[in-house]
Amino acid sequence: MRNLLFLLLVGLQSVYAQQTLLLDTYGSYNSTGVRRQVADAFFYGGLIDTSQINRSLANLNQRNTFGLQMGLNAQWQTPWLVSKDSKKWGSSFRWILGAGIYQYAGLQFSKDLFGLVFRGGLPYAGDTLDLSNLRAEAAIFSKIGFGIFNPETKSSFLLHLVSVQQHLGASIQKGTWLQDQSTAQIDLALNGKAAFMASAAKTYGVALDIDYRFGASDSTDNQQQFQLLIQNLGVARSAQTTTYQLDGALAYGGYSLAAWQQTSLEELTSGFLDSLGYQQSVGPSWVLLPAQIRLSKTLAWDSPQRLEAYYGAQFMLRQTYTPLIYAGAQLKVKKAWHTGLGMAYGGFGGLRLQAYSAFRFKRSELLLRSDNIALQNGASLYLQFRCDF
Amino acid sequence: MRCLGILIIALSFFSCKKEATRWQTDWLLPVLNDTLSLAHLYNDSTLVTSNNQIDINLSRTLLDLSLSDIVKIPDTAITQQYQSNFTVNNVTPGFVFVNNIKVHELDLSDIQLKKVRVLSGQIQLKVYNPLNTGVMYQIELPGVSKNGQVFLQNYTVPPGTVQHPTVATENINLSGYDIDLSGQQGLEFNQLQSKLTLKTDPSGETVSIYNNQVFKFEASFKNLRFDYAKGYFGSALIAGQEQFTLPYLDKITSGSIALPDLSLDLQIENGFKMALRAQIESLNATNTQGQALSLSAPSIGPSMYLAPAVGTWNSLQPSTLTLHFDQNNSNIKSYLENLGAFQQVSYQLQANPWGNTAAGHDEAFAHSRLRLKVSAQMPMALSADGLTLQDTFALNLKQDLSKSHVTGATVVLNATNAFPLACDLVLYFMKDGQILHTVVADAQLASALMGQIDPADGLLKKKSKIQIVLPPALVADLQDLNEIAVTATFATTDPNTGLAVQEHIQANAFLALQLQLQLQTQIRP
Repeated sequence: MRNLLFLLLVGLQSVYAQQTLLLDTYGSYNSTGVRRQVADAFFYGGLIDTSQINRSLANLNQRNTFGLQMGLNAQWQTPWLVSKDSKKWGSSFRWILGAGIYQYAGLQFSKDLFGLVFRGGLPYAGDTLDLSNLRAEAAIFSKIGFGIFNPETKSSFLLHLVSVQQHLGASIQKGTWLQDQSTAQIDLALNGKAAFMASAAKTYGVALDIDYRFGASDSTDNQQQFQLLIQNLGVARSAQTTTYQLDGALAYGGYSLAAWQQTSLEELTSGFLDSLGYQQSVGPSWVLLPAQIRLSKTLAWDSPQRLEAYYGAQFMLRQTYTPLIYAGAQLKVKKAWHTGLGMAYGGFGGLRLQAYSAFRFKRSELLLRSDNIALQNGASLYLQFRCDF
Repeated sequence: MRCLGILIIALSFFSCKKEATRWQTDWLLPVLNDTLSLAHLYNDSTLVTSNNQIDINLSRTLLDLSLSDIVKIPDTAITQQYQSNFTVNNVTPGFVFVNNIKVHELDLSDIQLKKVRVLSGQIQLKVYNPLNTGVMYQIELPGVSKNGQVFLQNYTVPPGTVQHPTVATENINLSGYDIDLSGQQGLEFNQLQSKLTLKTDPSGETVSIYNNQVFKFEASFKNLRFDYAKGYFGSALIAGQEQFTLPYLDKITSGSIALPDLSLDLQIENGFKMALRAQIESLNATNTQGQALSLSAPSIGPSMYLAPAVGTWNSLQPSTLTLHFDQNNSNIKSYLENLGAFQQVSYQLQANPWGNTAAGHDEAFAHSRLRLKVSAQMPMALSADGLTLQDTFALNLKQDLSKSHVTGATVVLNATNAFPLACDLVLYFMKDGQILHTVVADAQLASALMGQIDPADGLLKKKSKIQIVLPPALVADLQDLNEIAVTATFATTDPNTGLAVQEHIQANAFLALQLQLQLQTQIRP
């Protein structure tokens, strides 16, 4: 393995054209109302304090979101031209190789559902709880692929082979919970479904990554340059997905003595599920990957302006994700250190403070960014490293 | 290397969990929702509503014997055979060579039957042919008939040999057949008759009959039961002990009740047309504390005689003897207040105690019964003073403390009581019979005497809410516990005097129960 690496480096050094290694890693979670301490307990463990639950409840609206995104993405912009014939279009492009692993989880829920889950049914005895519009989506997948890259415009196009390790989708279109205060009778109505990909199921697909730069050809002049970045646009086919459906109503106010004596717990549970119209099926299915699309203004390192604005928008092909917009200003502190401060709104959270710093070294660049430096209902950290050799 | 370092730093932000994610929730679960009335308690008794009160009409049949239990013919096989004393040559086809009647005596001990009718049972006929030509067998049972037709069966049995006679077998249902056991002259008893007729095959060959050829048939009577019998039924002694349990009294562990004046009848019924001697040797009751009490009365012990029943078939009138026990002739009140759950009666019954005085004219019919019944009718009123019922239930509440589990629980009982009984509840949580935790309810299930009349149904009712808090130590031990004993102590306390008084049960009295569980749970996803 060491010899192989040595041969590769020697081979690369023999190529006089420049080549670049790009590494992106990020992790962020955020919510429109749930406090960070609640989410932190799921990541780091520990007791979720009742006061944090109550303060989260006070912040929640009828529709709320919580989401998590983590990823590691690597690209190697090779020195090899697609075509050595300068008359062909391929002479402007080099081959590029990429790989990555991603995790996405999104949750849309009502305030009542949050309260029922985190406080239980007793505090809500006598109240009708609205459990509708619950939507949960989660996926873990990895990809590896290749494509072409234009060194001049920095636009790129990659085609990936995708392997999905985990996927689930669940929703409750309509749901209500009512517990009578005196009799404790529970009236539950649910209309929803959930699909789980079996852990052993082989789920493969394809995805596109597109990085398209447009606007001013030279970003150092006064005209602006933009970037349209599309990542993970694709689908995968699951060989075995288990689908559960519920469409019914249940009224449970306790059993008679005779029923307790004559019926087993399994039969009681089965009776509950029958009342709720429970159905289960297994079969193949298509999985739509959580594609991310971002349109943003790009900032040139060598721009003569010391203070410069930046802005952009991002959305995902997911119903649990709200389009994100952000805007701010960048200050060139030093030639090798640029820093920015702005605001972001959307995604999985509300309005929050954004900041970043970028450092340029001799042959490399390092970017550290957070979209939530005040840790408002979540946390966010981006690391980007670029190395030319 | 620098890239790898950055990657490690990034991943460190999402480091391993140090402890389980958890939070507390509170739930209210309905468990039981039922209304108990007296119909739930005494399903084998008749409750009669009288003057807005309830009377108990308790009736138990302790012994019920039918004709089949008194008169039995054991499974019996009869055989009739023919064997020539010499060789008969040139026997032509269609030759009849035997035709006679044989009498069979049944061994029925001292029972002398003249006539019976079969309710159920069967006869198996088996015929053997040793002749080298087909033989027609005609089997007739002269005393056995149905609808005036004598029992007659014909068989054509294929040729056989002396060593290997051909055998034909048939099973015939005898239900509805009359069997006359009085013999050919009608003066005998326990006699069965049979007649065998043999005839060579009319279309067969001419053969010889040798003296070593045995022609025979076997008739086996099996599982005979009768719905009519006439004769002398013997004087066998039927002695026994019958035991029965009174419901719920076996749950009483302490305390006492006082019952109103009441009486109890013991009835002996003779549905047979024969004389009967009856003797109630003893009537004992033992309560859960092991205290036994015998019923004392002049009629307990001596023999009593019942005349034969009269009439026939549907007009049959049994002869009955009723032994009445009340406060004037017995200790019945203290006997019942002993709350003996386990009752035992010893008796003797003897048919024809003076022998065959009816000259063999005992008769029994389909509806004839020898019965021993106990019955009591009393107003349902009682005075309870610390009457304690205890029952034990298996408990299986396994929970894994490393997963979502219950950390605290309160049992909430909402009750509406229309009975004049107050109740105190105590729960004993046990492991292998050893009490580990004792929990006492925070309030009493109040008596209806403490309530008011509900204009909707005219019943006196009282609502109660009882909370039984299970302490954290008990909840922590839940997975180790395997039994729970519930003790309920009842009292009919007068709200004014505070003394136990006798109270009548209201007609349509009920106890409506709503049992809920308040659970504090620690959720660990």
